[in-house]
Amino acid sequence: MITAMTTLRRAVPAFLFGRDWPLLVSLAFLTLLGVLAGLARLVLGLGPTTGLSDAYPWGLWIGFDFLLIALSGAGFTMAAVGHILHIHSLHEAVRPAILTGLMGYVSVLLLLVLDLGRPDRFYHFILFWNVHSPLFEISWCVLLYTTVLLIETSPYLCERLGWTRPVRWFFKLITPITVIGVTLSTLHQSTLGTLYLNMPHRLHPLWYTPLLPPLFYVSSILAGFAVGLLSYRAAVRVAGRREKPEVVAGLAKGMAIVGAFYLALRVGEVVVAGKWPLLRPDQAMARLWWAEVGLGVIVPLLLWLWPRWRRWPLTTWLAPLLVIFGVGANRFNATWFAQTPPQGGTYWPHPLEWFSTLGILAAAALAWYVGIRLLVIFDSKTAHVS
Amino acid sequence: MSAPFSCHRRRFLQWVGGALVWLGLERLATDRRVAAATRGPESDYAWAVLVDLTRCTGCNRCALACKTANRLPNPEQVPTGLDSGAYSFVAEYKVAGDSADAASVFVKRQCMHCLHPACASACTVGALRKTAEGPVVYDAAKCIGCRYCQYACPFGVPTYDWQNPLGLIHKCELCRERLAENEKPACVDACPTGALQFGRRRDLLRQARARIRSNPDRYVAHIYGEHEAGGTSVLYLSSVPFADLGFPALPDAAVPEVAEAVMKQTPTVAFTVATLATALHFVMKRRTAANHH
Repeated sequence: MITAMTTLRRAVPAFLFGRDWPLLVSLAFLTLLGVLAGLARLVLGLGPTTGLSDAYPWGLWIGFDFLLIALSGAGFTMAAVGHILHIHSLHEAVRPAILTGLMGYVSVLLLLVLDLGRPDRFYHFILFWNVHSPLFEISWCVLLYTTVLLIETSPYLCERLGWTRPVRWFFKLITPITVIGVTLSTLHQSTLGTLYLNMPHRLHPLWYTPLLPPLFYVSSILAGFAVGLLSYRAAVRVAGRREKPEVVAGLAKGMAIVGAFYLALRVGEVVVAGKWPLLRPDQAMARLWWAEVGLGVIVPLLLWLWPRWRRWPLTTWLAPLLVIFGVGANRFNATWFAQTPPQGGTYWPHPLEWFSTLGILAAAALAWYVGIRLLVIFDSKTAHVS
Repeated sequence: MSAPFSCHRRRFLQWVGGALVWLGLERLATDRRVAAATRGPESDYAWAVLVDLTRCTGCNRCALACKTANRLPNPEQVPTGLDSGAYSFVAEYKVAGDSADAASVFVKRQCMHCLHPACASACTVGALRKTAEGPVVYDAAKCIGCRYCQYACPFGVPTYDWQNPLGLIHKCELCRERLAENEKPACVDACPTGALQFGRRRDLLRQARARIRSNPDRYVAHIYGEHEAGGTSVLYLSSVPFADLGFPALPDAAVPEVAEAVMKQTPTVAFTVATLATALHFVMKRRTAANHH
């Protein structure tokens, strides 16, 4: 018994028994619940294990797919900040953000396995093409961009293992890799908006607009800065390092610039299209819009613009969290709350949908934590060369 | 020896040449037929069904024949909605007539077989497809069960088999197998009152207009499906406004037009973003290098 425990402790990195163990054990427990819920769905089918129906064929999982892809915009946003805009002062925040992006996309792939009616045919989009279909383009981009993220994160491991040759090769190719990643992200982040252009009969006009593709794209960059900021702040704490105030300030500034642009697009579209009477707060949909745009865009912008509020220590946590809430609310409104099925009906997720989603998120958080502790995230000897 | 051989050869070449020209023309004609069936005013070539609601008595024989033809479970049970076990059903609407008591109007529902279907445009793997003959058909072997078609359809037609762990999409295919054997769709064949009629879309539209013209008191002056969502291959005539019978008020534009216009820009967007990002990289790299010195 004692030898078994010793072997286990040797096999598992020491930090898992460190100060964060209550968090890690809870995440592992949620992961286990998620695995069981996921297995139940795969064995029993969607009917008994979800709240989905012909009126609401998509639910919680698709909502989280859209949310996670938008948040994982941190990957291409921060890669562009580091390797295309070459903003050296923000370099420390690039690797944590790209690792978060990878975790987000892997979570999306796992959620899709649960959501597809025929998970055994997940590869069919490679064999059977329909170039008109937004989902066809999204499938290809997600596949290719997840590959790009794996390539982008590979030096974090190679540097730890001391494999210098592949790392040198990687840095020779870093510009084309980053450009490909940004291009693929631009395509599918905007196409996630195009996807809703096929549902004018279901989606409320406050969300349905031909501007959906640019709105989804810009909001993914906005979420990208917010998640980049939070990833950096969480990573320095997990790694036991000191946070650099100029990194936090720089990312908050990026968030504010993109946020102001997004707000102008969002409000401008409603005004130009003459839809502003729909914003009167006596309608449920209008209140949904105000909660999303007000709390998720306007409040964080005000927090940043007002110097007194900006200096408030809570702001640097609150503002990015509100932005994440806003972008997430936008994706959930588009896919769920602002939709009216032609045949009527409602949707509420089954507990197993919640458990499987939480399980995948917990597994991603756990993997991210282990990654930050084990991989080369902050002290790269080669990254500055690029 | 050589003369008959060359004669044979000439005839052989003539034959091959003729066959090639014929094949080319046939190919062209097929392409034009496909194009004609899917959009434009010539789409009237394709097969269609005219549903005259004033002639329907709600006997449900169409819905039961549909179940049998598609080999669906419980073929004796009258369906009350569209699901993976019923591709067609008859809905009953109580409408106040000229007399004080309410009269029933029966509405047969099934896939509308749009001329430019949103389900086919949305389908990730191209499992749904509009054929030149008229039906919107479904290839179950390709389907991944993503259920995007259910969102794209403005009529709420495609259904999913929720109880099956490896479920698929289900919908009316206008009895494509029967059409291939020169038979009418099962529902039309089963209709005893002539409420369902099968024919070329152009001919059915002409008939529908004639009926409205000769009986203006019996019909509302509207053929549902002539223009809705870009036009459909199932057309309806009614004595009651269609809005009272659960028919969605849809614009004349086909649903997927906007998304398809955006999707067409994909290569342009990719090229532009890749070029701009590369240019920005060189500019910013030089600027930061200059700042360091």
